Amino acid sequence: MRRADKDGRLEVAATVNGSERRFGALPRTHLADALRNELQLYGVHIGCEHGICGACTILVDGLPVRSCLMLAVQADGKRIDTVEGMADGRTLSPLQDSFHRHHALQCGFCTAGVLATAVGLLRENPNPTRQEVREVLSGNICRCTGYETIVDAITDPAVLAAFAKGAGA
Amino acid sequence: MKFPAFAYAAPTTVDEAVALLAEDEDARPLAGGQSLLPIMALRMAAPSLLVDLGAIASLREVRDGPQSVRIGAMVTHAANARSAAVRDRLPLVGDALHFVAHQAVRNRGTFGGSLAHADPGAEMPVVVTALGGTMLVVGAGGERSVAPEEFFQGLYTTAVGQGELLVAVDLPVSPLRWTFDEVARRAGDLAMAMVAVGVRDDDNGCAEARIVLGGVSDRPCRAPAAEAYLSGRALTEDVAREAGRLAAADLDARSDHHANAALRRSMAAALVRRSLLRLAAGDPR
Repeated sequence: MRRADKDGRLEVAATVNGSERRFGALPRTHLADALRNELQLYGVHIGCEHGICGACTILVDGLPVRSCLMLAVQADGKRIDTVEGMADGRTLSPLQDSFHRHHALQCGFCTAGVLATAVGLLRENPNPTRQEVREVLSGNICRCTGYETIVDAITDPAVLAAFAKGAGA
Repeated sequence: MKFPAFAYAAPTTVDEAVALLAEDEDARPLAGGQSLLPIMALRMAAPSLLVDLGAIASLREVRDGPQSVRIGAMVTHAANARSAAVRDRLPLVGDALHFVAHQAVRNRGTFGGSLAHADPGAEMPVVVTALGGTMLVVGAGGERSVAPEEFFQGLYTTAVGQGELLVAVDLPVSPLRWTFDEVARRAGDLAMAMVAVGVRDDDNGCAEARIVLGGVSDRPCRAPAAEAYLSGRALTEDVAREAGRLAAADLDARSDHHANAALRRSMAAALVRRSLLRLAAGDPR
């Protein structure tokens, strides 16, 4: 049985953005902190730290998850994808490129979480209505854009075409 | 805030989990963590040990039986929504899941965790009460069955004792036609008021009705006066309105900073009326 005391560190081995990574974590450390502090993935933003704001949303085994509401020790054996893994070198993914073209961010604090949420939505439903996009985005708080340009970016034809081919994220 | 420090164990069997929980009265089971971890982050709970149920494979099963479907406590809301057995044989569960939190929370949050947490604004307690589910609770002495009326004992309080674990729920396949609706300030928020309404039709209209309200009181509650009134009546606008009035009159509604008791009663009446009219129109969604 995997087990640790309050001060005991457990080894975590996970596939992070396509690479095998190992790190140690105390039971109390949430996954967002471990990704930032152990793996220097500072694209994982921590907002409210109790599951309300959505800023820390990442993909775990391909599904959007709040990384502040998952323990780092629970990531053992999982596939983790953060915003750092989205672009191909300096070439943005179709979804990121669409956010750029539509000005779907201002301060950018919520953006990594919004992108992960959008990937989760578009993989399940590659042709959502604006209303469906808005409902899904209700779990990600953005205080800059008023969401309009984010909905524009997610429903952009180039993005929908990329996801329909299974190549959007 | 960061979670207060705790020890961690991830047993692989229910027996191991129950033994760990029985050893330490401040130990808590960790299901999907979508309620317990926020509470810990807000420092409203500080368990000494989290017993992570994630490595117990048997708790993730959905088993389709002749009269009922058994949903394991660790089946996530997302997995429940994808399950063919749940979709085809328990459509009420799927209808209610549309209102449960957000995608990222549904991907981790579990059926059993939601029931054991017993938040009055959560949907799954209302669903299992509506369908007359049987909770299977395991302790050192073996397994016992608990009915929803006994299971939900108030705000965040259930019949699961120290050293016990909710492992699954048997949900009977219902002969009634069901619909689910709720009022929340934003999509995905906990409900201020919600209702599951089921009817069995005959030639004269409604032969039998079952109404369970949630969010309005500290636990799911039936509306016996409205159910009795509906029996043998056609579901007209006036009948639906009167059933809503009777359901709201029965309620011991709570007040908090989201809504006072009078508003909750008014929401309950409107939800019952609207749900009955949707069922009358043959459009439960």
